[in-house]
Amino acid sequence: MNELTFDRIDQTVLDTLRPATRRYWIGVAALAFGILIGAACWIYQIFVGIGVGGQNIPVAWGTYLINFVFWVGIAHSGTLISAILHLFRAGWRNPIARAAETMTVFAVCVAGLFPFIHLGRVWMVYYMLPIPTQRTLWPNFTSPLIFDVVAISTYLTVSSLFWYTGMLPDLAIVRDRAVGVRKKIFTWLSLGWTGAHEQWRHYTRIYLFFAALATPLVISVHSVVSWDFALAVVPGWHTTIFAPYFVAGAIHSGLAMVLTLMIPLRKIFKYEAIITLHILESVAKTIIFTGLIVGFAYATEFFIAWYSRNPVEIFVFAWRATGDYAIPFWIMVTCNTIIPLAFFIKKVRTTIAWLFGISIAVNIGMWYERFIIIITSVGRDFLPNTWGLYRPSLVEFGIMLGSFSLFFFLFVLFVKHMPSVSMTEMKETLVEGGDHGH
Amino acid sequence: MAIDTYIMGLFRSEDQAVAAVHDLKNSQWTLHRTHSPIPSRKLSEALDLKTSKVGWYTLCGGIFGFFAGFALAIFTAERWDLIVSGKPIRALVPFVIVGFEFTVLFAIFGNLIGFLTQTRLPRMQNLDHYDERCSGAHFGVLASCASGQQDGLTDLFRKNGGDVRVFDDQTATNER
Repeated sequence: MNELTFDRIDQTVLDTLRPATRRYWIGVAALAFGILIGAACWIYQIFVGIGVGGQNIPVAWGTYLINFVFWVGIAHSGTLISAILHLFRAGWRNPIARAAETMTVFAVCVAGLFPFIHLGRVWMVYYMLPIPTQRTLWPNFTSPLIFDVVAISTYLTVSSLFWYTGMLPDLAIVRDRAVGVRKKIFTWLSLGWTGAHEQWRHYTRIYLFFAALATPLVISVHSVVSWDFALAVVPGWHTTIFAPYFVAGAIHSGLAMVLTLMIPLRKIFKYEAIITLHILESVAKTIIFTGLIVGFAYATEFFIAWYSRNPVEIFVFAWRATGDYAIPFWIMVTCNTIIPLAFFIKKVRTTIAWLFGISIAVNIGMWYERFIIIITSVGRDFLPNTWGLYRPSLVEFGIMLGSFSLFFFLFVLFVKHMPSVSMTEMKETLVEGGDHGH
Repeated sequence: MAIDTYIMGLFRSEDQAVAAVHDLKNSQWTLHRTHSPIPSRKLSEALDLKTSKVGWYTLCGGIFGFFAGFALAIFTAERWDLIVSGKPIRALVPFVIVGFEFTVLFAIFGNLIGFLTQTRLPRMQNLDHYDERCSGAHFGVLASCASGQQDGLTDLFRKNGGDVRVFDDQTATNER
């Protein structure tokens, strides 16, 4: 880190904004094609009906809700890194905070699409808004689904504003080195930021408040998502552990996605001097911690089912581990709790290939965690005559492909056209440990 | 009437800029502002900056949001005042979630409004007497002097190890 200077940080980041190569645009086009596939599947579903998905009675929430929870989870670690670690003065957050915040904003956007998709009749979406209409009906604010609308829209708004405000000094750096149309665009985007002492005086304050307010918000949002399940009287869902369990899982998956995104970014943009191995190692250590929490939550669920002596609870959890969805269940357990333990070995957490591979495993495991939670509980409810199984349809796979493509499409466009590392915060790290002058 | 000349000292290090600020405060020349690529505690202390009042905007936004969230939930519940399973129409416990989310949301709006009003952003025109190096690696200290006293001010900046930029109205010249 010592060899870095202000000039070198600027140069390294600004170099990434040079005109893109043909390979880049081919990649963007491939992702756009994936989005088109997803959009085509959604349009097909709108015309034909929600029945083209694999959802059924009793498993009415399929991959749409799985992906919703997955993407909301991914969105969490951006705020963890930018807000919570900022409050803790963890300097290692600085090189990856911008990309993590970007990941957050785009992941929330993608997550927000799934309730629309799952509505079927998407034109009825205004039913969720508290506006006077001919229906003379208003949203029911005692429903966890409306909690979700409030929480997710608040989270999207706050994380977007946090992200943009944090970028202002960097946008000014780009503006000051750009020419022509680009200079005009960045002049608008930077809002006339000059780094005057009066601006910094207020900026450091609002950044602190952003972090302080975003921290409880991030915890509340995934708690609210968990209550979509926990407030229903369904075996396997109706449990008080769900809120912390979901929050820990969200951070676990988000940190894994940070590694998945940062490692190629570091290589492609030659960020090795900025996103050092030490930083990736710090993320890996945090993944050990969150993985242990998630593992503890899995064990607690089984223990409480056994300890409650409730035969339905015991049956549902036994079925999870040994029934029709045993393979996804064990993928979940292995990928989320066992494989990350490899990070205890220093060689593993300091080897790029291992870091990348394990991050992919955790991403897969966390997707399966949502699959297990959402499918298995309603698949084996109280009454055997309502039991059922679920298998995603091709339309759902298409929409899922579209959602992943959309996320990576937005991310790839961003990192090539905007500063993907916070130059200002990196410079702060060199001077006083990266604490925004506090 | 003498016309003021604006001169900016551009320093590679924070400490040099701080030293220049201290010297300026003890001089006959007028210190206008500083520009820096990072927030600087040392510069803030040298300039005797008070704590920003933007927090009051945040607080007001939060208080408004808290009551707005509860008010919205209660209002909508009362539009359909059918008691179901003996549950209260004004169910305050679940409304805490709406109240909380609105508190955060409006506190952030207040935060942002406070920031924009206090800093007078956005400002799209080029700022007078600004050097683009200040967003990169330099700490800029802007001061003015009466015409004919340029040498003294320039020397002050140079003595502290800085480059000097002289602004002649809208035209600027660089001196090294």
